[in-house]
Amino acid sequence: MFDYLEYTEVEGDLRTHDIEVYALSTCGFCKRGLAFLREHKIAFRYIYVDLIPLEVKTRVKEALRAKFNEHISFPYVVIDGKSTLIGFLEPDWRKTLLEN
Amino acid sequence: MNEKKTKEQTKIFTEMVAKKQGWVLTRDESLYEDLTDGLTTNYNRYGYYMCPCRDSDGNREADQDVICPCAYAAADIAEYGHCYCSLYWSKEFAASGKKAEAIPERRNR
Repeated sequence: MFDYLEYTEVEGDLRTHDIEVYALSTCGFCKRGLAFLREHKIAFRYIYVDLIPLEVKTRVKEALRAKFNEHISFPYVVIDGKSTLIGFLEPDWRKTLLEN
Repeated sequence: MNEKKTKEQTKIFTEMVAKKQGWVLTRDESLYEDLTDGLTTNYNRYGYYMCPCRDSDGNREADQDVICPCAYAAADIAEYGHCYCSLYWSKEFAASGKKAEAIPERRNR
């Protein structure tokens, strides 16, 4: 969503949706969420927001809040630039990303 | 800046917190390793045990309520059986054999 961010691209066979993940490098559920995507061979891109400069991060969070009008917590997934999945709840991720 | 912490020191810190509060540590061993890695990284990055599952605003004052154990842990443990990160569990949750899952964020900001 933001061309000024350097996302890490992860290859995958499943490209049903455009998946963008905002995560924390220190967070256990973020790690599990990213592992879930890899395990299911879902193509995605991600960025660890705790590793980018504070002013850039603040700008990103403000833009996400403005677009989706939701509280930001991590992992924060943007699907097709239109909807979100917030927090790693495996049944929700499975339903949204694998069954649709 | 405070002296750097090792992961072993962080583990001792979590044990002390759990003991003092009457909680137990997560029974999920890989999660425990990840969370104590994250806490150690945060201590050495910010100078305090910033919650590894929340985003820092870059200073202690703004992060005060999410320095581990966070201000929301007791309420989350009472309601869900574990804290937001699932680092600390209630004894009852541990005895139930349930698996920790992500819970709603109680912090409203």
